[in-house]
Amino acid sequence: MGLNLSTVVSDRHSSNGATDNVAIETRGLHIYYGAFKAIHDVSLKIKSREITAIIGPSGCGKSTILRAFNRMNDFVSGARAEGEILMHGRNLYAPEVDPVEVRRRIGMVFQKPNPFPKSIYENISWGARINGFRGNKGDLDALVERSLRGAALWEEVKDKLNQSGYSLSGGQQQRLCIARTIAISPEIILMDEPCSALDPIATLKIEELMQELKKDYTIIIVTHNMQQAARVSDRTAMMMLYEGTRAGTVIEFDDTNTIFTRPKDKRTEDYVSGRFG
Amino acid sequence: MSAHTPGGLPEGQAATENLRGRHRFGLAWQAWFLLATCIGIIGLTALLYNIVDRAFGYMAYEDKVAVATVSDRPLDELSQPELVAILQKKISKGAFNKLDKEQPFTSRSRDDVYALVVERVIQRKVVETWSLTESLTNRAKIEAELAEDHPQATLEFRSWLTVGFLTNPMSSQAEYAGVRTAILGSLWLIAITILIALPIGVGAAIYLQEYADHGTWINRIIETNIYNLAGVPSIVYGILGLAIFVRALEAFSSGALFGVTDSNGRTIISAAMTMALLILPLIIVNAQEAIKAVPDSLRQAAYGLGATKWQTIWSHVLPNALPGILTGSILAVSRAIGETAPLIVIGASTFITVDPDGLFSKFTALPIQIYNWTSRPQGEFRNIAAAAILVLLLMLLTLNATAIGLRNRFSRRLY
Repeated sequence: MGLNLSTVVSDRHSSNGATDNVAIETRGLHIYYGAFKAIHDVSLKIKSREITAIIGPSGCGKSTILRAFNRMNDFVSGARAEGEILMHGRNLYAPEVDPVEVRRRIGMVFQKPNPFPKSIYENISWGARINGFRGNKGDLDALVERSLRGAALWEEVKDKLNQSGYSLSGGQQQRLCIARTIAISPEIILMDEPCSALDPIATLKIEELMQELKKDYTIIIVTHNMQQAARVSDRTAMMMLYEGTRAGTVIEFDDTNTIFTRPKDKRTEDYVSGRFG
Repeated sequence: MSAHTPGGLPEGQAATENLRGRHRFGLAWQAWFLLATCIGIIGLTALLYNIVDRAFGYMAYEDKVAVATVSDRPLDELSQPELVAILQKKISKGAFNKLDKEQPFTSRSRDDVYALVVERVIQRKVVETWSLTESLTNRAKIEAELAEDHPQATLEFRSWLTVGFLTNPMSSQAEYAGVRTAILGSLWLIAITILIALPIGVGAAIYLQEYADHGTWINRIIETNIYNLAGVPSIVYGILGLAIFVRALEAFSSGALFGVTDSNGRTIISAAMTMALLILPLIIVNAQEAIKAVPDSLRQAAYGLGATKWQTIWSHVLPNALPGILTGSILAVSRAIGETAPLIVIGASTFITVDPDGLFSKFTALPIQIYNWTSRPQGEFRNIAAAAILVLLLMLLTLNATAIGLRNRFSRRLY
């Protein structure tokens, strides 16, 4: 019996867009890779239709947390999670939850643009088709256009939908990956350093796009770039290694403004002011 | 002032010398690589020369019955009915009727009847053959030899690889022998081998690479052993095939279960299953490498869209691994085409004049024919063996070209 997330998705649109609406929440999350503990006791409430940034020095488990949200860590052999990740009150790590369904509701954009070696059209339509898209060719065409428009890519590629996704520039490829993700209408989009392989202009385009996307989607972004976190995010989670261990934990989670101007934690202040990391 | 600081990098003159030394070192290696390539090319050229040298050249033949005693005109000028008439007159009634029964004379071609007249009436025998090199460079010596040894013989330049050679069935005389049954046998064998080995091999590779947990010792042992199996001598597979497919499963491999009554277990299906077993490790290892080479980012992208494992494998892993899988399979199948030892062990026929017509028919194959002919004492059999090798090489080349073309089409479609 799978987790029926689709019924609650429709609630989302009738929830009056209340800003304190929680999209996803972790409670006492610990993550292990075999004997190695990677994440120690993380509890976060991610609000709906906001951009939440996760920042912190290298190797403190930012990506590990991100990948825990859509259960991508399941593919790492020996990885296991303790605690809960709740979405609409259901624990995503409960035994009856099918991770495939989780990933369909929580999309992901990766660090390096990774379009499929297929046409632009197929890059978008594949996700819909494998998830049982019902409709004729016209419906699928409409979905492809809607998704590409949603990712601000339509004008650039509308005349070459049959060309390979690899014929695009790096920034376009990354927006194609975003378009591919929104084509399956997820609730949450996870972004794992989506701009780290892009030049500043392409980065700017993605950042502008994120502001558009947050009207419809909850976005969680991991970034190395503190300016980026400050520019795009509404809330920021600061991660550090937990006292004398190699497991990462969230030391401070607040409005981005607060984190960057009046952090409560001394370590956060040192980090965001560039004194280390 | 020293040329370089102790424990540091060389400067000035020392640096120049160091650089020159490194370039010299590189050049020495480059020379070795060039030499290695040349040795390879020389080896291949020698191989081809050796084969072509035997496949063409002068041959001398003697007629037991002079053409003049049979016909007042040269045989070449006679029409089909005239040739049939000669045949009817000169061979026994029983033999004539037997030939007529095999295929009525009315439906036989002129060339066919001509060959029969030469074989049965004139009883032409090859008395000596010469290699292409000798034929081209030393005609005088050949003629002198011939005048001394076989004054009656006629000298003729002959290509042993002819259309007739491709379309004739086996014969006990080299001049009339062909490889039709062997070509058909080889084609059947290869087709069935591919049909058996490819799905099993690729299936196993997918399981081992995508599903099996590499951490467990049992899977590691399985993988290591598959690698080792790829190196087991082919004759061992032949013995296995003989014991299992030919003997133990005779009811199946002879076709008795399916109502075929005229064969034993030494059939195409037995040979194909043996060959499939032989190339299975190669296909698995190569396919596994190809699947391993598919970037993980593609799998992640697919999973991230809510694809199941099977959807990911089918839509992304397999299409991207396909060129590599095909390359590996081409190598494996090429090996199977030329494999002789297992076929000898499981008992492929060496002399067969009937075309194979199904899974359960007796058969022969090109390598078997070649092996058989090279071990005959008469010189002319080595000539047709060379011609058969050319056929085998051509067949290999055609199959490989097809597979490579197919592969390139797949890879173009992807990127």
